[in-house]
Amino acid sequence: MTSNQTISMGFMKNIFSTVLYCAISFCCLLFAGNLYAQSTKITIRGRVIDSKDKQPIIGGAVAELDKDGRTIAGATTDIDGNFAIKVSSLNSQLSFSYLGYRTIKQPINGRTVINISLVPAASELQEVVVQARRAVDNGTGLTIDARNSTVASATISAKDLEELSAQSIDQALQGRLSGVDFGTTSGDPGAGMSIRIRGTASINGSADPLIVLDGMPYETEIPSDFNFGTADEQGYAQLLNIAPADIKDITVLKDAAATAVWGSRAANGVLLINTKRGTIGRPAITYTFRGSLAKQPNAIPMLNGDQFSMLVPEMVMNRDGLPLNIQSNKEFSYDPLDPYWYNNYSTNTDWIDEITQLGYMQDHNISMTGGGEKARYYASIGYLNQVGTTKGTDLGRITSKINLDYNVSSRIRFRTDITYTHVNNTLNYTNQIRNVAYNKMPNMAPYEYDINGNETSNYFSPSQNIQGRYPGTYNPLAMASEGFAFSNGERITPRFQLNYDISPVFKTSYDVLFDINNTKVNTFLPQVATGRPVTETTVNVASDADADFFKITNKLNFIYSPKLGENQTFQGLFQLMTDESKNVYHFAAASNTASSELQDPSNPSRTITGFLSSNRVVSRSLGVLANAQYGFGDRYFINGSIRMDGNSKFGPNNRYGFFPGISVRWRLSGEKFMRKMDFIDDLSLRASYGQSGKAPRNDYTFYNLYNNWDHTYLGQSGVYPANMELSNLKWETVIGKNLGFNLALFKNRLKVDAEVYHNRTRDMFYEGLQISSFTGYSSVSVNVGTMDNQGWEIALNTIPLKTKKWLVNFDFNVARNINIVRSVSEFYPRENGTRINQNGVYKTYLQIGNPFGSFYGFKFKGVYKDEQATIAKDVNGSDIVDPTGQKVFMRFNYPLTDYVFKPGDAIYEDINHDGNINYMDMVYLGNSIPKVVGGFGPSITYKGNLKLNVFFSYRLNYDLINGTKMNTTNMYGYSNQSTTVLQRWRNPGDETDVPRALLGMGYNWLGSDRYVEDASFVRLKSATVRYNLSKSFLNKIKFRSASVYLTAENLYTWTKYTGQEPDVTIRGNNNPFAYAQDNSLTPPSKNLLLGISAGF
Amino acid sequence: MKNHFYKVVLLFIVLLSSSCNKWLELEPQDGITRQEFWKTKEDVQAAAIGIYGSLLNEPLVYNLFTWGELRADMISATLNTTTDESNIMTANILSSNSLTSWRALYQTINYCNTLIEFAPQVLKTDPTFKQADLDAYLAEAYAIRGLMYFYLLRTFRDVPLKLSATSSDATLELLPKSSETQVYNQIIKDLDFAALHAKTTYQNQDMDKGRVTKYTVYAIQADAYLWMNDYEKCVAACDKIIGSNRFGLIPTFSQSSWFNTLFYNGNSNESIFEFQFDSQKLNPFHSMFVQSNRRFLASSVVMDEVYTVNSTDETKYDYRGNRAALRASDGMIWKFSGAQSGSDDIDPRPAADSYAHWIVYRYADILLLKAEALAWLNRGQEAIGLVNVIRERGKALESSARNPDVTSAIDVSEYVLEERARELAFEGKRWFDVLRNAKRNNYENLNLLLQMVIKNAPPQSQQIIVNKFKDPNSHYLPINDYELTTDKNLVQNPFYQK
Repeated sequence: MTSNQTISMGFMKNIFSTVLYCAISFCCLLFAGNLYAQSTKITIRGRVIDSKDKQPIIGGAVAELDKDGRTIAGATTDIDGNFAIKVSSLNSQLSFSYLGYRTIKQPINGRTVINISLVPAASELQEVVVQARRAVDNGTGLTIDARNSTVASATISAKDLEELSAQSIDQALQGRLSGVDFGTTSGDPGAGMSIRIRGTASINGSADPLIVLDGMPYETEIPSDFNFGTADEQGYAQLLNIAPADIKDITVLKDAAATAVWGSRAANGVLLINTKRGTIGRPAITYTFRGSLAKQPNAIPMLNGDQFSMLVPEMVMNRDGLPLNIQSNKEFSYDPLDPYWYNNYSTNTDWIDEITQLGYMQDHNISMTGGGEKARYYASIGYLNQVGTTKGTDLGRITSKINLDYNVSSRIRFRTDITYTHVNNTLNYTNQIRNVAYNKMPNMAPYEYDINGNETSNYFSPSQNIQGRYPGTYNPLAMASEGFAFSNGERITPRFQLNYDISPVFKTSYDVLFDINNTKVNTFLPQVATGRPVTETTVNVASDADADFFKITNKLNFIYSPKLGENQTFQGLFQLMTDESKNVYHFAAASNTASSELQDPSNPSRTITGFLSSNRVVSRSLGVLANAQYGFGDRYFINGSIRMDGNSKFGPNNRYGFFPGISVRWRLSGEKFMRKMDFIDDLSLRASYGQSGKAPRNDYTFYNLYNNWDHTYLGQSGVYPANMELSNLKWETVIGKNLGFNLALFKNRLKVDAEVYHNRTRDMFYEGLQISSFTGYSSVSVNVGTMDNQGWEIALNTIPLKTKKWLVNFDFNVARNINIVRSVSEFYPRENGTRINQNGVYKTYLQIGNPFGSFYGFKFKGVYKDEQATIAKDVNGSDIVDPTGQKVFMRFNYPLTDYVFKPGDAIYEDINHDGNINYMDMVYLGNSIPKVVGGFGPSITYKGNLKLNVFFSYRLNYDLINGTKMNTTNMYGYSNQSTTVLQRWRNPGDETDVPRALLGMGYNWLGSDRYVEDASFVRLKSATVRYNLSKSFLNKIKFRSASVYLTAENLYTWTKYTGQEPDVTIRGNNNPFAYAQDNSLTPPSKNLLLGISAGF
Repeated sequence: MKNHFYKVVLLFIVLLSSSCNKWLELEPQDGITRQEFWKTKEDVQAAAIGIYGSLLNEPLVYNLFTWGELRADMISATLNTTTDESNIMTANILSSNSLTSWRALYQTINYCNTLIEFAPQVLKTDPTFKQADLDAYLAEAYAIRGLMYFYLLRTFRDVPLKLSATSSDATLELLPKSSETQVYNQIIKDLDFAALHAKTTYQNQDMDKGRVTKYTVYAIQADAYLWMNDYEKCVAACDKIIGSNRFGLIPTFSQSSWFNTLFYNGNSNESIFEFQFDSQKLNPFHSMFVQSNRRFLASSVVMDEVYTVNSTDETKYDYRGNRAALRASDGMIWKFSGAQSGSDDIDPRPAADSYAHWIVYRYADILLLKAEALAWLNRGQEAIGLVNVIRERGKALESSARNPDVTSAIDVSEYVLEERARELAFEGKRWFDVLRNAKRNNYENLNLLLQMVIKNAPPQSQQIIVNKFKDPNSHYLPINDYELTTDKNLVQNPFYQK
């Protein structure tokens, strides 16, 4: 047996042993209580009729149930409604049921003839709806009335989201929940989003919340040591692939007391997603369709070929006074006698237009739901097809789901959910194509002209030209059309749950969830996309990455909810949870396959350039939780929990962590002195405190590992220590405090929820703390310090108008969050690495005790129009002279850089009037943390059938760096520029605010206020008109329900910002040195969505 | 019923708590942990080879080349030279310059420290591994560590001395700079151990050139002693190599056979220690010297002033110039890029064959080191003799000959320096050679350095540069910003303190 097999056998054994522990003990429990008597059979007869029309019910079910409600015997009624059933005991119950009727249960009580009339079920369903009260589910198993919840949470029902064009729920949630921030990562199909609940509690590492799907943690992260060969992780098939149509509701747990029950990984907040389940009734089939069109908006105007080829020689000339050598740069020779160069480099190509197409999406979903007393089901199947706005990008997805509930008896219930997702996602080989297309020289032709001046069908991919070569630049059209990164993913998540009520007050359940997630990513980079010669290892590169994730989660719950009399309630939970994931990854790449048609690394190629890697990682965690809620009357509630976590990612010294939580709610409106104020439905105060822990991302870090070099030395393999062992790494703990306030007035027509919170992250992880390189390493993972995340949120729900015809809702939310570092390792850098002589970057500092987000730089004052203007001035405005009486010119960073400003250069304000622009002239320029963010919007319903839903999102009072302006006007390299540069300084005396073109030199685009803008905005995010077809019409066409709606997204943005996209958050968000910069060259795309939903 | 239940729960908890600690104890399935390593002599061998393997990693050789050549006068920039590189060349050096990072060298030092710290424990677990075997491996580690510190000493002067392995986050420490003398003493100490215990041969020509032998150690010693003006010891170290009769100069029957033996194939009889690049691990030079967007060219003075040209008889030329050190037609640095084959073929190596070895020491270098030391021991005549051996072998032109006063140490030494430029062009030696000569006897000959640095400088900034180089602190690179932020005990070289 090879060692590998031994390992996997050992692994399997471990899985089984954990499953067995849980399963065996569960079975013991089952058998501990139940033995039932057997006796002689007695036949009972009778007839079943409809209560209204007294007609017999044919095929109705008659069943004998024992005292636990378990079915022991069964029979069906005949054509006259008659039945005969042999029962075991005259003490049993008989149940009578038929589809569409209310089930009747009657004790036999010694009778042998029983006649029954059944009542149609419709009335019952309504009754249930009226009585139902929404319960807050923290996912653990306790069911606590939302009214009595002690924690901060927000829930949104899927109804509110179904009209949006998003392909995944994270996109749809954007802006809807207070305190939850979503950031788009890219506009390509299948791209994921980053979700942040109440800011980021971590200075580095993952900040994504834990997703809990139907009570079980749902994996949304790729292990850190996986590399998919493609440009970015988002290229990998998105993980949050739950079809929006299957979702019933989504709850965000925000305060630490709520998340404490989820222990490790919940430190970033918890998002609970519940999917739809079957309901009693006839099968109901629902079909929904959503189709949308997406058009890439017009980009900012860029130079055309003629303007560009005027700019470049001028830029080169300004560098050192020598003209551009058009012999070696024939791109600019424009010599008709040299037809090959002349034709290929004399066009006005709009590269963006070349790679852009009209995007569309279609999403079909069919679901069927129904069931009876014993079994209920919800099944759905969905198909989504999307074509992106960049050529060569698309997404295909099939989702299917079946949720089954089966009641064996009133004490034993099964639940089985199976979800399957299949994803085909094609992306470009690199996600930089759009950038390259913006920068690409517009005088170059996309298709090659031959020597006679005829356009051919070959892509024009020169191996290099003045702009450089692959990977810096290439023919974007060839790259979009011929290179690809294709990912193919399958994810199956079967989940089984067994519930057993040991007694009415003591219940238990056991869950097991398997998560099988396999992904394959193939990429290929053909020669024609790079233009490089076929002998180079950068061409015909084929890669194949295969990642198999397997995860098994066990959960065992004991719930105790005794009856303590009228005034008191108690629910207690003891939970055991284990989690094991095994990830296997394999990657192969080869270059120089013989042809661009051989696109798999298995094809013979120059193996010397190919490489192979694989790894296998197992990690385990264990959680033990005790949680209880006690309520006194309608007024006082207290909830406490303690959780122990164990995680295999820690060394033996720090493997376990204990995380307590406590929360209380006081309902003032329940007190005597408030009783008289009828108009107050609820007035409560809440307070909570809780801790949750976070484990590091990487496995096995507490070992000192030795690796092989990937090359030999004199034919021998060498081994080196690859890391240092991390024996000091301990749990990162988030300690959260929250004060909440709930007010509901006028029969819930006005509801206000307000929260103030303070989350302190202690022993904050930092994965890459720089350490002195004399250690032989560059960084180390450590617990680096303490950071606070604090802020407030207010959510307002109102119903200003409610008549028979009109129903108007208005919702509003607003939030503010700031990050402050309270203490940090002395080795953590205090300022970003920006040097004074670096163009295009701003200086930021880490200031202990001050919020993040401020940036510093120079004040831009225009352009020196002539040499006279560059003479240095002192405080009084008179010229500065040197000891010999010579006039001194303005200098930059004397004496280290010592550049003398020339006419046409940017003027920076000389704050201290010393004639020298240096770090002493850097001033505060702005802060990119918004004062407030949120959303609002009305929803208007007319006669219940016509509905208008409008939603606005906003972000106010923050400064954004207009990176687009910076990159398209710097005239520093050979990249194409915007038409703004047509106003550039060219000759002494020119008065303008655009400096001269200067290739790779000078300081014309230092980080200055020239690019800083107030980016406050209010955006009309979506507007939907929906029409539900009237009941009478539906009855005629035999439909249960039908509606049509039209949604438009990103219709308009109110802002003073002159760039393309003000809605930019700080990328990564957890770097104290980050500032927000908008590099978009197009505004967000406007989408138009048509949706149809029909039920039968 | 309740009794049953509690029993089961109790049993469950007992079972679980006893096994869960074990269940959470996971070991990596790829890679070896330190606890599993260091058991057999093969492990020690693999770790020793690992040290050499790290010498091939970028940017180590790039650093050795750029530190040794960019501030000197034999290289010129192209349009593709990076900003950091050209800032070094024009003496516009800031501590943010990425070329001032010493990371790569300390990485290798850590591998040496790791072997020095853990290899001795193998004696306990592998009975076939004897003290002498251990000492031979330790000698290799000490020699490489000494060599790395010697480069650091010449480039930064004062550097922190890290002499223990970084194996756990519990052992991280913050070191201050050690003084020039402390670093030098440590180098000598390491080399003394290595000289005593290193092997004289590995019974294989390639191994003898690619791994540390006693002669490698003597060569480093000779260089180090000369750096600190300890001439007697330098001569003694050189004599150990010369007297071993294991090395010789590759004869110049034809320029191409000499070039191929010494530089193209490498590991020749002349070589003492070379980093063994091969087709698996290419050297960094192709993109620096060969590609059309190359970043460095031989300076125009190299042909005209260093090798000189015989304009009357073109068949007479210095074999070490055109088609050896450089390609005169376009200034391509040829030593590491030249292809094997006859002298007519002047194509450089293709990218995939760019694996010319990096020669750290060779016999000719030793002879010239000795000559320089002799000059300062008032044995000028002997020194000139050695220089002439080298000149004869290299077919040096009459026009590059000097006739120094053999009684003037400075004159002889300058002649040796000129010959070193010809013989060892682009081998990462030039700046150190000039600096060594300039700083000798309390900067007696600083002019040597000042004349050199203005050659590359644009006319308008020559005066500024000369003023900078008048401060001896400016002759050493600044400590990179990164190191200053990560270790508060480090103090920046005063010249670069703002």
